Amino acid sequence: MYINAASTISHQPTFRNAGFSELIEPLDNSSELISPNYKEYIDAGLLRRMSKILRMSVAAAKDCLTQAETAQPGAIIVGTGLGCLQDTEKFLNTFLSIEGLLPPTSFIQSTHNTIAGQISLSIGNHGYNMTHTQNTLSFEHALIDTSLLLGEGKDNIITGAADEFIAFLDEAAEHLNASSKHHLTSGASFFILGKNKTEKSVARVKDVRTAGLIQDIDAAIDSFLLDNFLNISEVDLVLYSDFSEKEKMDSVAHQYFNEHYHADSKLINYTKLSGLYPTNSAFAMHYAVDRIQREPKLKNVLILNGLNKINLGLTLIESLEA
Amino acid sequence: MESLKEDLKKQIIEQLNLEDLQVSDIDDDSLLFSADGVGLDSIDALELIVLMEKFYGIQVTNPEEGKDAFLTINTMADYIEKNRN
Repeated sequence: MYINAASTISHQPTFRNAGFSELIEPLDNSSELISPNYKEYIDAGLLRRMSKILRMSVAAAKDCLTQAETAQPGAIIVGTGLGCLQDTEKFLNTFLSIEGLLPPTSFIQSTHNTIAGQISLSIGNHGYNMTHTQNTLSFEHALIDTSLLLGEGKDNIITGAADEFIAFLDEAAEHLNASSKHHLTSGASFFILGKNKTEKSVARVKDVRTAGLIQDIDAAIDSFLLDNFLNISEVDLVLYSDFSEKEKMDSVAHQYFNEHYHADSKLINYTKLSGLYPTNSAFAMHYAVDRIQREPKLKNVLILNGLNKINLGLTLIESLEA
Repeated sequence: MESLKEDLKKQIIEQLNLEDLQVSDIDDDSLLFSADGVGLDSIDALELIVLMEKFYGIQVTNPEEGKDAFLTINTMADYIEKNRN
């Protein structure tokens, strides 16, 4: 499937900023979400009720439609790991503190599928509307769904992923002894994916695969590359993410690719760039597209999502010249 | 009565996240649910029912009654005056 548009709102200057991959540095702990002027993208009547994740997602999705010069997508498919946390927290706090009737908006908008729903409402789309929530593999599942739907004849599908940070996550991580070296952040990345190459196409998603309860990561990567007729040395850039507290040379990506990759620039831990959220592999896909557009020598980029050690996501992005 | 109307406008702006509006932007006789007035919608109507109970202790149980009561700030204030204990 071909990527015909890409848009990301994150803690990095990614939004409407082609070439951002050359500019960005690893995030520090004081980074904040960089929000556009949402009023330029979202009707004021809808905007006033939208939480952070909804604003990010609708603005990024609409930016994709503008880039692809498409009025209506064939479908809307969203991946989210934790869904609409701001509204969930608001609803639960109200639930605990108020007797009697509860305000409906935060309840209505607390469900994960609000994101795809609000995108469809904001553009008046009545097509297939689906939400995938599969922990750290939510975005990859959205991509697989997109691929299946393109095979059934739909085209120009809005596919993306979003997650939002709320302060409670830091508190919860501390209680669970799961504090990370990475900064917890928010992010939304959306794409227009089509079946055929068009003048708007910027790269291609050649393959995507997920594995739950993964036992042998090396074998999974071997098999993925083999099925795509690639040697390790033909992968020009590996974007990886893992939750390991160990030094980077111990990480899965480094263990596997170390023999073939002597330059650090070929192995990039994208969580250092995006910050930590369950669907940051969507950020990695936009980063890959941005790099491919600027570096003609990049033909194959592998996104290795090992953010959750029991899940593995593998996505192969190919340049149009490959 | 005037202070009740001011209070009501403040609560509506806050509870319905009418970010772009100030109290002075809402006339007492503006139609709340008209695009020419404040431009509220059906979800806002549910929020107003909750607002009436939470801040004024009034349960709006009859939908027909609510329709008339929520026409303008004036009708809301009248309804509150008549129904609160």
